[in-house]
Amino acid sequence: MTAEVEASDAQADEIPPAPKGFLRRFVFSIDHKVIGRQFLFLGLGFLAIGGVMAMLIRWQLARPGAPVPLVGKLLFGPAGGVISPAAYTALFTMHGTIMIFFAVTPVLIGGFGNFLLPLMLGARDMAFPRLNMASFWTMFAATAVLTASFFVPLGPPEAGWTAYATLSTAIGAPGPGQTLWVVAIYLNGASSVMGAVNYITTVLRMRAPGMTYLRMPLTVWGFFLTSILNALFVPVLAAAMVLLFFDRVLGTQFFIAGTTPGAGGDPILYQHLFWLFGHPEVYILILPAWGIVGDLLAFFARKPVFGYRVTVGSLIGVVVLSTVVYGHHMFTTGMSPLLGESFMLLTMIISVPTSLLVLSWLGTLWRGAIRTATPMLFCLGMVFTFGVGGLTGLYLADITADMYLHDTYFVVGHFHLIMASALLMSLFAAVYFWFPKMFGRMMNEGLGKLHFWLTFVPLNLVFMGQLVIGYEGMQRRLYDPSVYDFLKPLLPLNRGISHAAYLLGAAQFIFVLNFFWSLAAGARAATNPWEVGTLEWTVASPPPHHNFDRIPIVVRGPHELSHPAARLLGRDWLGQAEVIEPAPAPSEPAGPAPAPGEPA
Amino acid sequence: MTTAPVPETRRREIDAQVGLVIFLGATAMLFAALLLAYAIVRSEAPRWPPAGAPPFPRGAAAANTLALVAASLALRRGWARAAFAFGAAFLAAQALLWRHLVSIHLGPAAGALGEVFFALSALHALHVLGGLFALALTGARRLRLLAIYWDFVLVVWVVVYVAVCLL
Repeated sequence: MTAEVEASDAQADEIPPAPKGFLRRFVFSIDHKVIGRQFLFLGLGFLAIGGVMAMLIRWQLARPGAPVPLVGKLLFGPAGGVISPAAYTALFTMHGTIMIFFAVTPVLIGGFGNFLLPLMLGARDMAFPRLNMASFWTMFAATAVLTASFFVPLGPPEAGWTAYATLSTAIGAPGPGQTLWVVAIYLNGASSVMGAVNYITTVLRMRAPGMTYLRMPLTVWGFFLTSILNALFVPVLAAAMVLLFFDRVLGTQFFIAGTTPGAGGDPILYQHLFWLFGHPEVYILILPAWGIVGDLLAFFARKPVFGYRVTVGSLIGVVVLSTVVYGHHMFTTGMSPLLGESFMLLTMIISVPTSLLVLSWLGTLWRGAIRTATPMLFCLGMVFTFGVGGLTGLYLADITADMYLHDTYFVVGHFHLIMASALLMSLFAAVYFWFPKMFGRMMNEGLGKLHFWLTFVPLNLVFMGQLVIGYEGMQRRLYDPSVYDFLKPLLPLNRGISHAAYLLGAAQFIFVLNFFWSLAAGARAATNPWEVGTLEWTVASPPPHHNFDRIPIVVRGPHELSHPAARLLGRDWLGQAEVIEPAPAPSEPAGPAPAPGEPA
Repeated sequence: MTTAPVPETRRREIDAQVGLVIFLGATAMLFAALLLAYAIVRSEAPRWPPAGAPPFPRGAAAANTLALVAASLALRRGWARAAFAFGAAFLAAQALLWRHLVSIHLGPAAGALGEVFFALSALHALHVLGGLFALALTGARRLRLLAIYWDFVLVVWVVVYVAVCLL
């Protein structure tokens, strides 16, 4: 491998000058920290929009056909404040699209990935700072195109976030809204691939001396593996978008069956391409979350990660397996039973590495000196919701159960427990944890804890409630379930879920308040407020433009907590690049990494 | 393992090559997915080439390949301007080929063979266009990277040609 980048002295001497002028510093910046914050704000903005859409969806399910209070006249004026069937379809389409592609992706991967990778690896910036800037502005263009799709004749796209053909071809969606959706997703993918090229190169080439692969924080592993999946599978989504675009604009018939003699189009072809990307996509989103939670659990349990090497191996195992399981989204498309059973088996095998991950988290917590700060609460919440969400996945992986549960609210509950709950929990954990480093101020702990409890409890009520109504047989995407007699008894349950959802939505105002109040008037953050050893906590909060005055030389793993040698220093942690003066350890500077997985 | 410091410019160049190879891997997946779509369309068609489709003008498409080969060879010699001219000539020739295909009812809306060729060749042409932009912007400064990219574009075209026009 070309991993041994030895020349640190040459790097250490040339510190790039900080840019001057408002545009260069804050708008068209090539500084990974600024770009990370740009992604964070963009993503949080869309998280709010997607969240409001979720509230509107829940309103319709709780009180079908009743006018929306407060904002109804503004949003649905012509219909008298009532959500029409078309508007409802557009709402759940855009809710899914925005949350997956324009909220979680920019916040976690674009925001935290950008901010953290160079700082955690001991680098001055990403490998390609200009490409990084291009990645953000491509994402920005994608959001602009997506927003434009609301304001075109025939309205926004209504084909669901999966945009299945033929709902999404010119037959099902003649308006320009769907075409704009296709373009927005393509641009979004282009941004992701630019980011992936940058992240992978940065991890391969920009690690500080001594930062071996097995000394990288799990957060870095998460972003690294996510980027590999992004580079491989986002182009497959791009291919689907290209063909859909040609179908809509040039009159090709890739996804339209049998309309012209000799044309061999097939709507199922779209599903193959979409899920070939779509299943890796769920791991693209969850891998950074796994990495973040893995690190934070160790930091707040004051213990090394239990089985660091096994954890890394499990993450890699999931990445490999994630590429060969997509067929479980298509059990009901009439695929060959042999193929279906292969996909079922492979899907279930994924539970082996994920179980190892959960085992590592529980082992890390076991007999730890747990500090229940806000980020830790959100991490513990993530472990719980991920556990429940993961277990429900086993039902859906089983073909016979899936035949019944397919396209019901059980599926909605399952993927929201992972995609919404586990992801959102780790997203909030990351915000509370790295806010001091990003903005130089602490967030308020009391408000943070209140935010946690008012998020965690309703969140579980909402999505576990959805598991129940799905098991009772309620299909997803129904405008008004009460028109079916057998679903009428579910109305009170639906109403209860909606009330929990409103509480969940309202609780987010606490976060918004805390975020902006802390930004303006929070207590000044020290360099290392959480007392942990990874490299980003060795530089000022917020870090200077060039990150490190001298490129650090890493001597140990990321989770050296409760380390006996640290006791001499009067604390319980050691920095990754910290040189201990009396040198109690045997001197082996070029030796193998001191197995960070071992309990110290 | 060497301990001699690697010069900064050399290090940057390796960074750029690593990044380019990852990007080309992603691009290869894009074309692989399109070829997969082609394979599925073709396997589901009752017969191939589809009934009533005129024979594909293989000769004209093969002749266009020569322009791309010339561009790649020119870059190996360091002739950036000649490579640009050959690349532009390829695009012009492709445009003429598309016009011809539409006129003989092998256009994008005229059936499976036409749509497959149009989708693959249009996306390929976009990547050639990107290569022309890169040539015009960086010119002689990034010859080694550009040569890798243009070889890749040539290989993709040959694969598309063999898969769609010959097989």
